[in-house]
Amino acid sequence: MLAYILNLATLICINAVLAITLNFIMGYAGIFSIAHAIFFGVGAYAAAYFSMHVSASLFLAVPVSMLVAGLLSLVLALPALRVRGEYFVAASLGLQVLGVTVFSEWKSVTGGLGGVIGIPPVELFGHAITDPVQFLLLTLGCLLPILLITNILLRSSFGRNLKAIRDSESAAHAFGKNVAAIKTLSVVISSALAAVAGALYAFYLGFINVESFMLDTSVLLMAMVIIGGTGTLLGPIVGTVLLMLLPSLFSYMWFLPQTEIGAIQQIAYGSAMVLLMIFRPSGIVGSRKRSNG
Amino acid sequence: MSIFKRIFAAGLMAGAMSVAPVHATDFTIGALFPMSGLNASYGDIFSSGANLARDHINADNLLGGKLSIQYEDSQALPQQGVIGMNKLVNVQKVPYVLSAFTGVSKAISTVAARTKTVAVNGGGVGPDLADLGPFFWNIIPLANYEVRAIIPYLIRERKAERFVLVYIDDPLGQSIRKELEATLPGAGGKLIEALSVPATAQQFGGIAARVRAANPDVIYIASYGSQQLQIIKQFRDAGIKQLLASYTAFSVPEVGTQPEALGSVYTTQFIDWNTQDPVTKRFVDDYKRKYGKMPTAYIANYYNAVRLFAMLASQLQKNGKPVTGENLLAQRIETKTFDLVGGKVTFAENGTVVMPMQVNEVDGKGGKVVSTTGTK
Amino acid sequence: MLVLQLLINGLQVGALYALIAVGFSLIFGSTKIFHFAHGSAFTIAAYVFYYAYSVAHIHWLPAILAASFATVLFGVLLDRFVYAPIQADEGSFFTVFVASFGIGIVVQNVIGMIFGRSFVSVATPLSRSIEIVSGLYVSPLSGIAIVVALLFFFGLQFFLMHTHVGMGLRALSENPELIRAYGLSPRRLSTIVFALGSLLVVPAAILSSADAGLNPAIGHHVMLISLAATIVGGVGSLRGAACAGLLLGMAENLALLYFEPQWSEAVTFIVLFLFILLRPSGFFGRAIAS
Repeated sequence: MLAYILNLATLICINAVLAITLNFIMGYAGIFSIAHAIFFGVGAYAAAYFSMHVSASLFLAVPVSMLVAGLLSLVLALPALRVRGEYFVAASLGLQVLGVTVFSEWKSVTGGLGGVIGIPPVELFGHAITDPVQFLLLTLGCLLPILLITNILLRSSFGRNLKAIRDSESAAHAFGKNVAAIKTLSVVISSALAAVAGALYAFYLGFINVESFMLDTSVLLMAMVIIGGTGTLLGPIVGTVLLMLLPSLFSYMWFLPQTEIGAIQQIAYGSAMVLLMIFRPSGIVGSRKRSNG
Repeated sequence: MSIFKRIFAAGLMAGAMSVAPVHATDFTIGALFPMSGLNASYGDIFSSGANLARDHINADNLLGGKLSIQYEDSQALPQQGVIGMNKLVNVQKVPYVLSAFTGVSKAISTVAARTKTVAVNGGGVGPDLADLGPFFWNIIPLANYEVRAIIPYLIRERKAERFVLVYIDDPLGQSIRKELEATLPGAGGKLIEALSVPATAQQFGGIAARVRAANPDVIYIASYGSQQLQIIKQFRDAGIKQLLASYTAFSVPEVGTQPEALGSVYTTQFIDWNTQDPVTKRFVDDYKRKYGKMPTAYIANYYNAVRLFAMLASQLQKNGKPVTGENLLAQRIETKTFDLVGGKVTFAENGTVVMPMQVNEVDGKGGKVVSTTGTK
Repeated sequence: MLVLQLLINGLQVGALYALIAVGFSLIFGSTKIFHFAHGSAFTIAAYVFYYAYSVAHIHWLPAILAASFATVLFGVLLDRFVYAPIQADEGSFFTVFVASFGIGIVVQNVIGMIFGRSFVSVATPLSRSIEIVSGLYVSPLSGIAIVVALLFFFGLQFFLMHTHVGMGLRALSENPELIRAYGLSPRRLSTIVFALGSLLVVPAAILSSADAGLNPAIGHHVMLISLAATIVGGVGSLRGAACAGLLLGMAENLALLYFEPQWSEAVTFIVLFLFILLRPSGFFGRAIAS
């Protein structure tokens, strides 16, 4: 029972990192990315490749995957952020689809549809981490600093600039803020930190394949952020815990048809999204009215 | 102590011992099937075979205690599979798990190896399933054997020379392509075109045009699930009249009843459904009685997987050994050959089976056997 | 000959894409609502027709009417009970988008629960191709698709140009306030737009059910095409969306001449990307600020 809980807790932490980083750009910068799973995947594949060919050390593999994801997001963001909100959604949707195709075809790096198997356990100071408790501690050790970093950034002038851009891009521009640079920087930070989650995921499962990085995952992450409450600090965490526990919760409800649990889960969070948007757009944690903070 | 107290104490002990249950322990095994999502129909098929085996085993009281199967929904996705596997291994503490779908199988194989739990695959045929460690067993012959079994039939009986392959670009499709490329020239055939399709593709009009332009004698389709049905329908709609061939994936009822699939051929393990062999006969009769239709190879595989567990577990019990994953593995290596549905099955060292294969033709009535080949 | 065949395939596929895209573009251009549930409307239309015709064995005419009714109802209810309250309250673009997205997820799964997730199709002899010339196969369905698409376009054009309501719709995208001044209600026009836009997917859905077949996830692909075509064609231009839909259908098929099939979906998105980066206003769209 303990191992099952540890397993769930670890996956919740990994997904929480993704939700927090998505919230960073969605809730605060107003950048609506539906391709977050791609950066998750880039981080995972980079860490897998690096650890299998060079070194499985935590302090090398994770920065490498952050670098790769950050660079990729930089290259993509620079042109894409020049366009308005809804065009960015379309572009990120396109990126999601294209990313999946690349993951499926670049067989030498990603193993194609078969995925990458045999990823070695991550090493911390020469000690391989295979014990689930230790891995959970490691994951928490990554989640907390990321939470801290995003917190600090949001309270700083950078954070205020982000909110200004979210609320009114033209006004921010009029004030002399370099909107393009700030938006690009926030996307790079978000993607690089999402890659950390990817690296942890790869080390945890020991096997990754493209099925974990498809549109469904991006949608689930978006649902976590929105249901929890965009633009809040606790929101993404609440959303993550809720949505990750849903399938387990439903599977314990013996009166629900076992074959339809997956569908019921999706209906549950789909409906939650609709109802929340009608009655409480700021999500569970968010305040009743669209706040300014 | 006074004599009364001694008698009382002895009586208590005797009473306690007689009240303590003396029957053998019950057994639980796990199953990681897609019970929801796009592939839920496979979950239904696989579980029908597993359940029938469980019922037979309990009816025969093969294990002394009751056997039950704990199902977890993998949704055919690796992450869900790992969560389900963890639940089975850590909460239910099963020693034996039925697995399905290559991606899921690969994901859980690490957990299986680490916790020394046996995982048995009866549905996936990707050749990479042979390399997942000693605790991962395959009770279905893998893809390379399927291809090797059908080529001689196509070339000799159907006079086919020009082959076109339409395949999903995953390890399974790639291995089929490799096998065709390697085996066809020597057998008198030629692979003139190999077209790979994305796993999520739905429109095949353009691909049909390319296939038609290549003018083949037979088209080998390496896909599965909904997609293969769409390929078959759209190819036929596009005027492709040539023979369609595939592997076990065509053995599902949806293909069997699809009008456009009539006449197509596919390989499965060799199972003489009309044999008098008692194990097979009982399986076929009871399945027909319960579901009103003939079983298929997939169903037989998962029946066999559960039956295999019962056979190994009962042997372990007889030798007084606990039923753990390690002991099950050791027992399988020791016994090697088993009486399963379809006949005697032998496991190779790496946990794969080699079985005689048969070529079936879709006739709308459950398929008919048109050719058989010996073990290769 | 292969080129010609792919061209014709592309034409048929493109005609249906164009219909779908115009429906979406109409809605998005007039109301600025990112109606992600457009794909769900398609799914509902297709499955209602499938159920009525193939399962309940109703004659195809009432089946078509049933599908049309269900789809239009869906669009109108969505507008009335989901989009309207959101817009009345605070209605940011993203809130509406997320709600629409949620609807999409719910519809996909409900349909999956009712009809199963496996592939189904409407069996009809019309989908069988006939060899017109040696090596060239066309099915009656393709011909019907093209004719129906043209009919609907001309009908739509007439409606928008020559009827009172139609002109009101065109004004809606330009200036909602002015509409009130002329005695029309933006709310009512919005409902009409949704009804019309959803109606436009019905022929495409019915033809697809007989041709390519259905499964609950087709809504995704429909949505992606609608989005891509609307942007490539230019937001606010129906003609652009139609042309872009046609273009995407043809590109998808003609790409097979040179590329492996697994890149054909990617081709759609590469085209989309290029437009977003180099010419966001699309073919015929009005230039956008910034």
